[in-house]
Amino acid sequence: MMRRRLVSLGLLAAALLSGAGLSSGGAAAAAEPARITVLNPAVTAQFADRVPLAPRLDTLDGKTLYLVDTNWGGFGNNDLLLKEMQAWFATNLPRVTTVLKVKQGNFVTDDPALWREIAEARADGVIIGVAG
Amino acid sequence: MSREAGSIEQQYGIPTVAVAGENVVPFGIGANVSYNTGMPIRYAAVPFPFSGQKLEVLRRYIEGNDLVSGKPLMQALVDGLTKPLTADERSSGTPSQAKAEPRLLPADTEDNLHRLFQANHWTDFNPIILPTEERVAAMLRGTSHQPDEIVKTAAGTLGANRPFTVEKVAIIAVMAGARPEHLPVILALATLVPYQDSTTSIANMVVVNGPIRNEIGMNSGLGALGPNAEANAVIGRAMTLIHKVIQGYQEGVTGFASLSNPLRYNNLTMAENEEALPPGWVPFHVQVGFKPEDSVVTVFSGWNFVNSAGWVEQHYAPQQLMRDYMRALPGHGSATILLDPSVAELLRNAQGFANKAALGEWLARNVEVTAATFWGNSIVSSMIGPLADQGLEPYATWRKESPETLIQPYPNAGNIRAVVVGGNSASVWFVTDFRPGRGASIDAWR
Repeated sequence: MMRRRLVSLGLLAAALLSGAGLSSGGAAAAAEPARITVLNPAVTAQFADRVPLAPRLDTLDGKTLYLVDTNWGGFGNNDLLLKEMQAWFATNLPRVTTVLKVKQGNFVTDDPALWREIAEARADGVIIGVAG
Repeated sequence: MSREAGSIEQQYGIPTVAVAGENVVPFGIGANVSYNTGMPIRYAAVPFPFSGQKLEVLRRYIEGNDLVSGKPLMQALVDGLTKPLTADERSSGTPSQAKAEPRLLPADTEDNLHRLFQANHWTDFNPIILPTEERVAAMLRGTSHQPDEIVKTAAGTLGANRPFTVEKVAIIAVMAGARPEHLPVILALATLVPYQDSTTSIANMVVVNGPIRNEIGMNSGLGALGPNAEANAVIGRAMTLIHKVIQGYQEGVTGFASLSNPLRYNNLTMAENEEALPPGWVPFHVQVGFKPEDSVVTVFSGWNFVNSAGWVEQHYAPQQLMRDYMRALPGHGSATILLDPSVAELLRNAQGFANKAALGEWLARNVEVTAATFWGNSIVSSMIGPLADQGLEPYATWRKESPETLIQPYPNAGNIRAVVVGGNSASVWFVTDFRPGRGASIDAWR
């Protein structure tokens, strides 16, 4: 009876060792997991052609700036912030003339007529905002 | 805003500086320049949130620092108009392109490949099926189109160029767990990129109409909106993967949805229960001009999804409760009702709505909210408010109303739509503010 039990324990140990990937004779290298090849889901993004910025001004002294409200975000805040900017220029750079304009349409629509108006008024620079 | 600033700079040569919240400036000076405008507009950033703040807070923003340069905000604006251009800002022409993506990934173990897909956000973070060549080849048998056919080019956010092929869509279909017979729907869905995104919690909804619903085993009946059918599940999941991998949506890089939306896991993918429509009620795709025998997929987008919870009872007609619940939706003018066939049958036979349009007309006449509630939602005030201020009716009149005045926020009854779906085990429905885009032919991709 005792001998039979020892044999059984020996078989169990061998089975456990085998299941763990080891031979009963000692440690051996684990099988390397298979390597597979898969297709690449990524799409090649194409860069947009670069467009240079317009040349900057030498100074703002005596210049006219248009502050353009893009109509983002509902009522009030763009208007308030741009008016505060206008007040800052009046106090801190009084030789800068500022003109506040509101874009036609909502924040996702373009307003080429306003850009033309700004150009025809010979504006020197534009501050446009505010999104977020 | 980059587009407007770019127009002024490029067409008229007038130096321009843009001001935005710190939450969106990374896109304006990052991916948008690289892939959309090509123009490195000078930005200054104010803290977020900007909208909803009181004047004294806005004054502190003016007195504070620009969050891009770290300089005082107003100095940064002056510098933006006067500091000479850098070499990068003067550059023009086609930049050296990013390295083309290879067709195959380097061989690796399955565990490592799964880790790679996760690291690259090529996943919805549920386990995906790895797209082996054999699996993708089998998937491609689901369409007559060639693997190298370009499906669309303007696929990225705001239409950035991300040309993709039929094979790329088949890869996505494998990853989502789809079968070849699902591929025509997924290809049609892919033609509708870029999908709607926002910093808000906008979501999308997929509605399939026509014979293909039954051919591929889409569930339009019992449990149709739940996780109860392979086709609904894998098509919805494929849309999420198309959004992330093909469109290239990545939170914090090309998109900034503050909360996002759990509906984005499956995109409310459903088939209309056309067989259960009551007489006179036509399928959605027929309402918008397709033939009944056409198979069509339509992507709706919206934010809200309000559940009837209970069933229809005799003492309060279903359209009355729909009206009540629709008062909770932002009144941007569009709504879609999802209703069980039993509700459609009750609306037709007990309430006299001969067709879907009649239901829309009744709701358009009877949903009322106060002017204050209508204008209180920023989707409405930012999208419709400027049009009101420019004189567009009826919004211009509503803008002048007292806050308590009741208005009917759906001036176009045709923008209240109905989709019949469900299994006739409870007379339940949802009201949503989803609105449809253009439908895409699935037959074109068989």
